[in-house]
Amino acid sequence: MLDDADDKPCALSRRGFLGGASAAGAALPLVAEAATKPRTGRSVAAPDARAPAQVTLRVNGTDHPLSLDTRTTLLDALREKVGLTGSKKGCDHGQCGACTVHVDGKRVLSCLTLAVMVADKPVTTIEGLARPDGRLHPMQQAFIDRDAFQCGYCTPGQIMSAIACINEGHAKTHSDIREYMSGNLCRCAAYPNIVAAVKQARDVKEG
Amino acid sequence: MSVEAPAATGNMGEPHPRFDARLKVTGGARYASDMPVDNPAYAYLVTSAIARGRIVSINLGEAQNVPGVLHIMTHENTSKDVKDSKLFSDGGFSGTSIIPLQSDKVWHDGQIVAVVVAETYEAAREAGYRVKIEYEAEQPSATFESNGVQVQAAADVKKTHEDPKVGDFDGAFASAEVKVDATYFTPTQHHNPIELFTTTCAWAGDKLTVYEPSQTMYGMKNGIASQLGIEPEQVRVVSNFVGGAFGSKGSLTPRTALTAIAARRVGRPVKLVATRQQGFTIATYRAETKQRVRLGASRDGKLTALSHEGWEVTSRPDNYMVAGTDATTRMYDVANVQSKVSIVHADRNTPGFMRSPPELPYMFGLESAIDELAYALDIDPIELRRKNDTMKEPIKGLPYTSRSVMQCFDEGAKSFGWSKREPKPGSMRDGDWLVGLGCAMSCYPTQMAPSSARVRLSQNGELRVETASHEIGNGAYTVIGQIAAERLGVPYEKVSVVLGDSDYPAAPVSGGSITTASVCNCVAEACDAIRAELGINDPKGDVLAALKSRGRGAIERYAEWTPKGVPDGALAKLYSGQAMPTGGTKDKERIMFAFGAEFIEVRVHQRTREIRVPRIVGAFAAGRIVNPRTARSQLMGGLIWGVSSALHEATEIDKRAARYVNKDLAEYLVPVNADIDQLEVFMIPEEDHEVNPLGIKGIGELGNVGTNAAVANAVYHATGKRIRDLPIRLETLLA
Repeated sequence: MLDDADDKPCALSRRGFLGGASAAGAALPLVAEAATKPRTGRSVAAPDARAPAQVTLRVNGTDHPLSLDTRTTLLDALREKVGLTGSKKGCDHGQCGACTVHVDGKRVLSCLTLAVMVADKPVTTIEGLARPDGRLHPMQQAFIDRDAFQCGYCTPGQIMSAIACINEGHAKTHSDIREYMSGNLCRCAAYPNIVAAVKQARDVKEG
Repeated sequence: MSVEAPAATGNMGEPHPRFDARLKVTGGARYASDMPVDNPAYAYLVTSAIARGRIVSINLGEAQNVPGVLHIMTHENTSKDVKDSKLFSDGGFSGTSIIPLQSDKVWHDGQIVAVVVAETYEAAREAGYRVKIEYEAEQPSATFESNGVQVQAAADVKKTHEDPKVGDFDGAFASAEVKVDATYFTPTQHHNPIELFTTTCAWAGDKLTVYEPSQTMYGMKNGIASQLGIEPEQVRVVSNFVGGAFGSKGSLTPRTALTAIAARRVGRPVKLVATRQQGFTIATYRAETKQRVRLGASRDGKLTALSHEGWEVTSRPDNYMVAGTDATTRMYDVANVQSKVSIVHADRNTPGFMRSPPELPYMFGLESAIDELAYALDIDPIELRRKNDTMKEPIKGLPYTSRSVMQCFDEGAKSFGWSKREPKPGSMRDGDWLVGLGCAMSCYPTQMAPSSARVRLSQNGELRVETASHEIGNGAYTVIGQIAAERLGVPYEKVSVVLGDSDYPAAPVSGGSITTASVCNCVAEACDAIRAELGINDPKGDVLAALKSRGRGAIERYAEWTPKGVPDGALAKLYSGQAMPTGGTKDKERIMFAFGAEFIEVRVHQRTREIRVPRIVGAFAAGRIVNPRTARSQLMGGLIWGVSSALHEATEIDKRAARYVNKDLAEYLVPVNADIDQLEVFMIPEEDHEVNPLGIKGIGELGNVGTNAAVANAVYHATGKRIRDLPIRLETLLA
């Protein structure tokens, strides 16, 4: 959005920035306020924080144009508006990892991410991993083979984290996997099996 | 085969992958709050800021002005809507007799005092924060030793309670050559399944559908009907997958009726997802206990006297108790036994069952004391247990149907390397780390309840099983399908199982580790009826061929299974939602338990006192294991739960305010992946044809019972410090 405000986005002028911020005001009221007040020394009429924002979420390759309360988290937008309920709410505070999705290929806690922040960025959820022909991602298959879950509620988050963990290069050793998978709680405590699954998928990938 | 999917040995079934595995790894498994409903409104709970007193005034002005707010429920407009709330343990369905919004009275911190319903979750939450409530607060009583608590003997408040005793404890203890007399404490704990407490209610005319994660489909159906004053036939409960429960979803909580009332009032479905913080006070928890254990023994290690006294916290109005002395007085051969349980009423929410409710705290006391006795006698703790092992429980002299506890110790000890242990505390080191090896006995009563199920075999070879049992991570879909496949000689891949819907045949609450034993025996009976109708009595006979040769398209059988020894009327009560399990210590002629031996290695840093657990070994004997893969996972999870209970978990209470202070997953500690390292589970083949026809004992709660004491015993071995107050933390060892 900021890019649209100026022909030369790299040399963003203050005027351009403010213009962009105002245009995005409905979606980013806090940014607009923070940016305007100290810099101009005068207040700008606050946009209606409750006015819905028009956002397009790009999830698993499909665009979803949505009208959202600006306070809506990515997690709630996925679950309640897009209808993708695979990502789970376990704490809503970024403490359990059940809501983990990929944004721009990186693992993100969707409960700590406002939906408007990821407009136009590619989001991948657990529903987007298997191939259209139904073939599972090697990590999904590894979770089945190693019985890496019981109730299955934390599993979508575990799998999204596990894939990112390998991509980040954090799955090289047993203790690395345990450390870098520690943001995802499993109350059924399938931890040793999760580690085995990550190793299996890593080796499939490397092999 | 892999470590995670051990090969079947002895009487075990095949380690098939979970029936629901694909759904669970693709996001396709729909938990209650994932169920789509048409045009839902969203509810948000407002909870009390005091633990005792009354609401003086509620100002809804600001809240009602939030755009999108549809309705706000308080005691001023809802006090007559919820009819009854009898406690589960008194023959009702509820986990608490406290009905929120019934009056201005506040019974405990975090009690529901208002429910906001709005167009969006965001608006409901905002309005919830804008509800202004004034209270008249009284000084609450928080826990043991707080002013104002009321102590009652369990036998005085509950007709059916017995304090097991036999012989002359006082005399035997007085004259014992070696004695242990110690007091132990276990903390408040909350289940904290990762799935939150959610409820979605949708009315169609006078019919209500409730989507709620539950361990008791028929209990919910009947309980919610009685609370709303409608017929059970008007209620359908759906819960195809439960995102962890551990006891927390085994009884009705007040939120369900409130959500149903909200949905009726706004004329559309209402969806409630309570916050993690609210979960600590709107449902149940494991209450803190205090226990005094006294053991007397002869110099050569024979137990002569055992006394176990327990005190447990409960709420003001409810007499909830777990009374684990029922088990701990029956584990060893000892002639003189006494016990007593008391409850302590405080201004708290009503506690409830949490994984191994009685056994976990009480076996921590007993198995710590046994370790203390071993040191006092200078006898190896495993040998002390062998010396006092028994095939008869001492209170009534009833025989164990099977008891392979010493086989578990021997197998576990071999793998763990127990023989390399230097017994003297503080004698094993690895650089800066003090190494401690500890062990303890695990046990869990084998219980079963009446069940019903429908099985259909179709000409195309498909086999379908329907029952309103529950998939809570226990592998219920899998083991139920496996038993049907085995019994009728149909490939596992051709079986489909449907669970978690009160429209299906009644199944008992999935608590007390009864599901596999109860439901699988029932399914086997239905399968046998199909065989009988087709005249195929040879277990290897081809039922499908018989079906086809008779020109039948399908054959279906509905079975009701009742275990031996259940009280009269138990089968009828199954349908009204009250499970009446038998087994364990309830049988009049025999005693039924599963056993295990658990081994822990701890490492305690000699300067910082950081505690690590590099190795966990558990060996278990629990009759027939239907699926070694899912069974191993459950036992593994149990072992980790035990470590968690010993080293991580405690709900901290601000005693001035009777308020839980660490109400989230950052502050309520549970193990993360990095906390767990090597773990081995052994399943000792055990055949027991007395417990039930299939010989299944149940394993969901066996894993986490002995671990608490095993950890504490290992910490003593490492450091020479005997910690009798859980959880054991770095600061405990520095003190």
